[in-house]
Amino acid sequence: MEPVIRGTDLTKVYGNLTALGEATFAVEAGEVRGLVGSNGAGKSTLVKILTGAVTPTLGTVEITGHAAPLGDPRGMILRGVACIYQHSNLAPSMSVLDNIFLGRQPTRGLGLVDTSRMRAEARALLERHQIDLDLDATVSALPTVKQKEVEILKALALDARVIIMDEPTGWLSSVEVAKLHETVRALKKRGVAVIYISHVLDEIFAVCDTVTIMRDGRIISESPVKDVNRSQVVHLMVGEKLARESERAAHEKRHPRGTGEIRLKADKLTKHGVFEDVSFELYAGEILCITGLIGSKRTEMVRTLFGSDRFDAGTLEVDGQAVTFSSPTQAISKGVGFVPEDRHREGLMLDMTMTENLAMATLHRFRRGVILSRRSMVESGRRAIENLSIRPPDGTRPVKLLSGGNQQKVLVGKWMSRTPRIFILDEPTVGVDVGAKAEIYAILRRERDRGAAILVVSSDLEEVATIADRIGVMVAGRLTAMHDGDSAPMDEIVAEIGGAD
Amino acid sequence: MATRSLTRTDDLFRRLAPHALPIAIVVMIVGFSIAQPAFLTPDNLIGIVRQVALIGIMATCMTFVIMTGGVDLSVGPVLALAGLVSFYCLQADLPLVVVVLGGLSAGVLVGLFNGAIVAFLGLPPIIATLGTLSIVRGTALIVGGPEQHLIRDEPAYTFIGAGNLFGLPFSIYIFAAVAVVMIFVQRRTPLGLLVAAVGDNERAAYLSGHRIRVTKLTVYAISGFGAALAGIIQSSQVHTALATYGPFGTELDVIAAVVVGGTSIMGGNGSVVRTLLGVFFLGVVNTGMNILNVPIDVQLMAKGAIIVVALAFSARLA
Repeated sequence: MEPVIRGTDLTKVYGNLTALGEATFAVEAGEVRGLVGSNGAGKSTLVKILTGAVTPTLGTVEITGHAAPLGDPRGMILRGVACIYQHSNLAPSMSVLDNIFLGRQPTRGLGLVDTSRMRAEARALLERHQIDLDLDATVSALPTVKQKEVEILKALALDARVIIMDEPTGWLSSVEVAKLHETVRALKKRGVAVIYISHVLDEIFAVCDTVTIMRDGRIISESPVKDVNRSQVVHLMVGEKLARESERAAHEKRHPRGTGEIRLKADKLTKHGVFEDVSFELYAGEILCITGLIGSKRTEMVRTLFGSDRFDAGTLEVDGQAVTFSSPTQAISKGVGFVPEDRHREGLMLDMTMTENLAMATLHRFRRGVILSRRSMVESGRRAIENLSIRPPDGTRPVKLLSGGNQQKVLVGKWMSRTPRIFILDEPTVGVDVGAKAEIYAILRRERDRGAAILVVSSDLEEVATIADRIGVMVAGRLTAMHDGDSAPMDEIVAEIGGAD
Repeated sequence: MATRSLTRTDDLFRRLAPHALPIAIVVMIVGFSIAQPAFLTPDNLIGIVRQVALIGIMATCMTFVIMTGGVDLSVGPVLALAGLVSFYCLQADLPLVVVVLGGLSAGVLVGLFNGAIVAFLGLPPIIATLGTLSIVRGTALIVGGPEQHLIRDEPAYTFIGAGNLFGLPFSIYIFAAVAVVMIFVQRRTPLGLLVAAVGDNERAAYLSGHRIRVTKLTVYAISGFGAALAGIIQSSQVHTALATYGPFGTELDVIAAVVVGGTSIMGGNGSVVRTLLGVFFLGVVNTGMNILNVPIDVQLMAKGAIIVVALAFSARLA
């Protein structure tokens, strides 16, 4: 049977990093294909090539046997490839109907929108795919799962033959996930090919026919879902080397509650409508990982510890003293360091040099009277670059030219010279290659052994298992469980993350 | 063979690209001098610098604002207000230092007001300073009324804008001093680095513990200072203070100089030196066309076209 979409030898090289190597990938009509791999495995590069967002360095894409234009998002949409992202791409204040036809409304003479035709077409679609939606509802008023359905409908209205779903369930409750899966099965029946990307393996086993496993930019295995089990998939995802490493890490000594000295204590922290009654202690000399689903408000919670957001109720203590930080400046003066989740949007000055970025948290140290001593800044940058083994070791290089891993090292490194007493990192290794990941873990362990109290927010369970001295789980704005890292029952934690009782 | 020469031109182009503006200035000077030898006389060249001094001072002082991703539309009325404040200080027989400080502080206050609206109320700079533009013009009209105020028998004050020192107009020294100080501040002080950091990624600068609001207040105050200084020089040069000096369009000339220099209107990338190049480039174009007797309407069109071409060119390079 002719595949609907086929990528052949797809390769994407960024500088000296091969994000995707010779991937050959084909999906047939009516097939639901799972695509799994840890962060940085090449899934998103593959998806971006298929949607035309990225032009591959090598390789071809065919749709129903015809060569498709590369790096042309519009061309791909017209050929029937649609993608539904984790974050909504809808216009929230417009109606469902308007969203479905956004940007290509049928018109009558004089360029007037032909509303009755829009409505008729939308109705036909709803009926054909047995989706139940109120066309006049405002999108923002709909529950998240309904919004996903609007996106799906929007794709179908464009005669999508391939629908890519990139982490579609991140914001959904378990009931909603089941509903979404029903929709996926309905699509399958209508002959639509679905590429389903998820970190939650249970979903892959629940809804997919076949699964493609990626690692380090390559396709490692492809097989019917019924032929593999969960542990085989995990094993293929992490690879021999990392499996051994995490095995070794598992034997590494954990330090729950570190030195026993409480550095930071949160008591019933609450931000109304966001998170509630979050209480925990963070000890000197430990790494506390807080894990959970995306959208479980971990980021929002840790931001209040750093003063970049406020909490409404509860108390925060640092070294036994109650504090209220109204700005990061105040938190920093108490020895708190913070690495935000999105390094491009919140962490780095991309056009500025490595040296300048590394100096950002310690500018006052380079002051000589009114003058900024560039020389001591360069000197301190040189030392940091050496200590963190940032490649290439050239302080004058704009940060935007570095690889993700090295960018992240710059971001972590700028706090190192302050020797933070409390170090908070939000998803510190997203989009970072395996080597840099290990280096960042080494830095964190070094800081911990120096006596820093480290709080890591991470969705990557592999990461949590590797570095955590203690593990906290957040579900829908509540801290629901706390485990010691040395005896952490990972399968139990997986269940807790999903909100199981 | 053909491809090789092509890559060589490409390579040359790429290496020359960062110096496009100085090259353009030299080419213009050579071109105008050939067309009209009078262009290259010392008098004319000094005249160019003197003519661009006012816009130049305002542009160097507005560079930081634009680098932080902002803009200051209120410079025109500030220029008028500073002239008026200085005039009334002269009327009151205050010492020259107080007269000058009076005018300058009017500008700094307006700048702080701009900065406060932007930093604390979070309004977009273009809206905030558009409001101030109107408020300050109104204030100047209340303070000064519709009539011209003559500044007579004030030799010390008149020297600021019209005096000569070692054969050069004194205003050129002021322009040079402002330029040197601003280059120094940008390259050698923490503020310079912070301005670039805020323009590049304001959120990241905030999360690195910097007081972004203080930075914003400072850069708008500097811009207000520059406009006020220009206002004092102008009132001294023309011996009058008037509420409608710095007419509509002044702010656009200033912004044009900054962006033609290559400072990004979106913030981040930029420098005081580039602004100076932009100032001189526009100054040479203006004077050259004057000297060639190009009609004013054609001049306006040519100037606009040159600005667009220069910006399109720098956007291609970025």
